[in-house]
Amino acid sequence: MKKICRILILVLSIFLVPLNLPAQDKITVAVAANFISAFQEIAADFEAKTGVKIDATFSSTGNLYSQIKNGAPYDVFLSADVKRPEILQKEGWTDGTFIYARGQVILWSADSDFCKAPSWCEALENDRIRKISIANTATAPYGTAAMEALRKIGKWDALQAKMVVAQTIAQSFQYASTQSVDVGFCALSATASPDGKKGCFYIIPEAPDVIQAACVAKKAKNQKGAERFAAYLVAEDAVSIKKKYGYR
Amino acid sequence: MDYLALYVTLKLALITTILLMIIAAPVAYLLAYYRFPGKSLLEALVYLPMALPPTVIGFYLIIVMSPKGFVGRIWETFTGGSLLFTFLGITIASIIYSIPFAVQPMKAAFSKIDRRLLEASYVLGLSKRATFLRVIIPNSLSGIAAAAVLVFLHSIGAFGVLLMVGGSIPGETKVASIAIYEAVETMNYSAAGMIALSFIPISYAFLLLINRLNEDSRT
Repeated sequence: MKKICRILILVLSIFLVPLNLPAQDKITVAVAANFISAFQEIAADFEAKTGVKIDATFSSTGNLYSQIKNGAPYDVFLSADVKRPEILQKEGWTDGTFIYARGQVILWSADSDFCKAPSWCEALENDRIRKISIANTATAPYGTAAMEALRKIGKWDALQAKMVVAQTIAQSFQYASTQSVDVGFCALSATASPDGKKGCFYIIPEAPDVIQAACVAKKAKNQKGAERFAAYLVAEDAVSIKKKYGYR
Repeated sequence: MDYLALYVTLKLALITTILLMIIAAPVAYLLAYYRFPGKSLLEALVYLPMALPPTVIGFYLIIVMSPKGFVGRIWETFTGGSLLFTFLGITIASIIYSIPFAVQPMKAAFSKIDRRLLEASYVLGLSKRATFLRVIIPNSLSGIAAAAVLVFLHSIGAFGVLLMVGGSIPGETKVASIAIYEAVETMNYSAAGMIALSFIPISYAFLLLINRLNEDSRT
């Protein structure tokens, strides 16, 4: 019994050693899934330049929004739409929102045979396409934009049987890239990744631009660091990284 | 390699295991030795988390622990913070999620103890509490160890409940199972593989440790 206690005390004492940095040296950022690749590069650059560490959580915009509503302690929220940051402003979570990126919906496939048709509408008519991935149209703005494009060309209802719904736009690309589905609606930013370069894609002009807004929490634990990151996000260095990933 | 996520997982699993051993022991004692009206109802209630989908548990925990929920509101008035998306929040979730795995083996171990031992203890003048601590617990260490193994392994495997209640905040609520899921989602298979692989020796080492303790308790 004594021996058990001694081992337990030893093991538990390990957890007293804090692995986390104090709050003033880091910020917590909630990031919409389409922005993951660009964000990782931006965050690394920001950390190197300022010494402020970034803890990031990636998920769909809708999911992050509902987490914030339930009290999640994020300092900065990078949404994939304008609507949710604006609601957060109305509710007093933030003082103001700003646009940091404009994204584009694409139709991506790992198999270049699917890109031989002259346009994406005709490409979707290929009989060999059995499954098409799309991000959740309720929680992922890229999914919503893809749905609007399909409605515009009148194919939304007809294609329902082939649709596979991913929880985030990143997951939609994962399905397409691993060929779990034949083609997938993805973000243009996905094509800048090593896996993204292996496939082919159509830009979807019918899909509205995905305008992405961000905001800083009023109650941010590290207000100064958060403001600094917000400023960095629209400054020159970050802009060139964003451009590389296909954002405008 | 996401060491932070592994660290959070181990910390969560160990704290859950220790707290659950303390919480579950009196419950298992009650279920093993007492008869009272509604006992079968209580027993079913204790085992309910085992039969429910993790997302159902997660849903109700969100309802209760959110700033507008019953527990969340009380918590906020005292601490000013939220319970959801914190380590404490996922610890509570993890405990509720694993209760059946602690109570069931303990109850079985308690029921197996020779009644004559207990009677001898009472005759010699030990109180019920002293008998519980000095006769029942030492005589059912193997059952308690089994409960600890089950709870520990069950809580390092938890995913759905923790994702709903904790989100995925690095160093706070992002456990290894969530880190693997996110690494796969972003096609970072090498990172996913590293964490996945590290589970095997960790789980194996803890099983060996508990087995060792088990043997010691018998000699």
